[in-house]
Amino acid sequence: MATGQRVAIVGLGYSHVARNSGLTVNDHVIQATKAALADSGLTMHDIDGVTSVGTEPLNDAWLLGIEPVNWWASGMMAPAFSYSAVQAIAAIASGFCHTALALRVIQQQPSSSALVKGAGANHPMTSMLHAAAGDRQFLTPFGAGSPVQWAGMFTQRYMSQFGATEEDFGRHVVTQRYHASMNDEAIFRDPITLDDYLAARYVSKPLRILDCDYPVDSGSAVIFTTEERARDLDQPVVLVDSYALTAVRDLNFEIMSDMVHTAPVATAKSLWERTDLTPGDVDTAQLYDGFSIIVFQWLEALGFCGEGEAGAFVAEGNTRLGGSLPVNTDGGACNVGRRHGANFCIEATRQLRGQCGERQVDSAEVAVFTNAVGPFAAGAILTRG
Amino acid sequence: MTTTPESPPLPMPQPDATTQFFWDGVAKHELWIQRCQSCGHYLHYPKVLCRFCQSDDLAGERVSGRAALYTWTIAVQPFHPFYVDRVPYIVATVELVEQPGLMFMSQVVDCAEEDLRIGMPLEVVFVELAPELTLPFFRPAAEVS
Repeated sequence: MATGQRVAIVGLGYSHVARNSGLTVNDHVIQATKAALADSGLTMHDIDGVTSVGTEPLNDAWLLGIEPVNWWASGMMAPAFSYSAVQAIAAIASGFCHTALALRVIQQQPSSSALVKGAGANHPMTSMLHAAAGDRQFLTPFGAGSPVQWAGMFTQRYMSQFGATEEDFGRHVVTQRYHASMNDEAIFRDPITLDDYLAARYVSKPLRILDCDYPVDSGSAVIFTTEERARDLDQPVVLVDSYALTAVRDLNFEIMSDMVHTAPVATAKSLWERTDLTPGDVDTAQLYDGFSIIVFQWLEALGFCGEGEAGAFVAEGNTRLGGSLPVNTDGGACNVGRRHGANFCIEATRQLRGQCGERQVDSAEVAVFTNAVGPFAAGAILTRG
Repeated sequence: MTTTPESPPLPMPQPDATTQFFWDGVAKHELWIQRCQSCGHYLHYPKVLCRFCQSDDLAGERVSGRAALYTWTIAVQPFHPFYVDRVPYIVATVELVEQPGLMFMSQVVDCAEEDLRIGMPLEVVFVELAPELTLPFFRPAAEVS
């Protein structure tokens, strides 16, 4: 059990999400926050803490009319939304603030083909991929430095070490799409087959385009508060049982000496040390799928299956709705678009509230959501209160 | 400064005071890796402090150039204009023999994709991509007993 005050998740909201939304960053902040407030029954004046990955939290607070701000935090190179989430949880648990807004806002990246043609010359992603100073002097000249390339290397190492196959990843991708077919908010909803997966193009072999999350403009907001306050609201209460944030090295994925046992191993260890629950108690897992290999690392790190057994675990139907551990029941970021982890927190909470309709996991009482892989990771275990 | 539209910009490394020794070594077709002069650990990427013993007495030393293949990916999509016409190529992370866990990311050349396997012995080879740009890549080597 986590120390300090018990923390609850009470508000969930998305902005209008699309490949090209036509919205500004502020539009996404406002829309997502208002949606989360409406979901919770709280007003802007009930919030006294703000955290964000992707925007400046004090600017967001001022824009939204949140004052006073008793606590704030921001992070860029962090385990995406889960960084915001665990910071907000810790701030409330410690009494730093009582009700925190956690945001993740993403402006769509230019396509890779646009980047190499120079169309996105002024975009931060272009300058990152073309920079060759500092640590990147050991990446860019060598034709490396894109996340898909470390993800391809992580995937290849896993396949070589355990004899996993491309079909193993394909079955996971097919399963996620099946879940997305039951989610009105998903961008990709047409079911696919294993053959469709195997026909998809490689981006960094063995990594295929369908192994990658889908870039979109998105704003996501989650409101955390104390258990006591949550019990006065109308939504079913969802509590944080344990949470963890772990880094195992600096930000360089490409020279990790162990690309199979990465930060999720340490994060999972902390999550289980801080709870009386066990892997067998978890009813549904929402695991970051920036790339398919990340889901496999989390399945194994959290102890849902043995080392090197994630492919078989998926093939046996465990991760499919109706299986022993439905995973990424909203379809994952490959299908709902890159909410950078926020969707996993939101979907886990919705499952525990019993609000997932056709894709609802029967009598879901315990859920886990996670983010990231490699150098750093974060996640939390939630229970129905 | 003039550029011709036909030739894409080179992905030139930008050495700094901490990394200059590495590129000086490459210019001589030698692989140099930073080593702590206090505790003897190698460090890559080069830094200004030894993370093992916190000494700042660091210097480049020539290494054997022998390595084992840790993992690889076939780059089929370019992310830099220079590499647009060079795909596919093999991006690889190798473990240098000098120290367990001493990883170096590079490319593997002179090896068919189907012959790649983790643990295979490699040796450094210096490849001139352009008159101004030579890089240390790796190629299959005979087993070392």
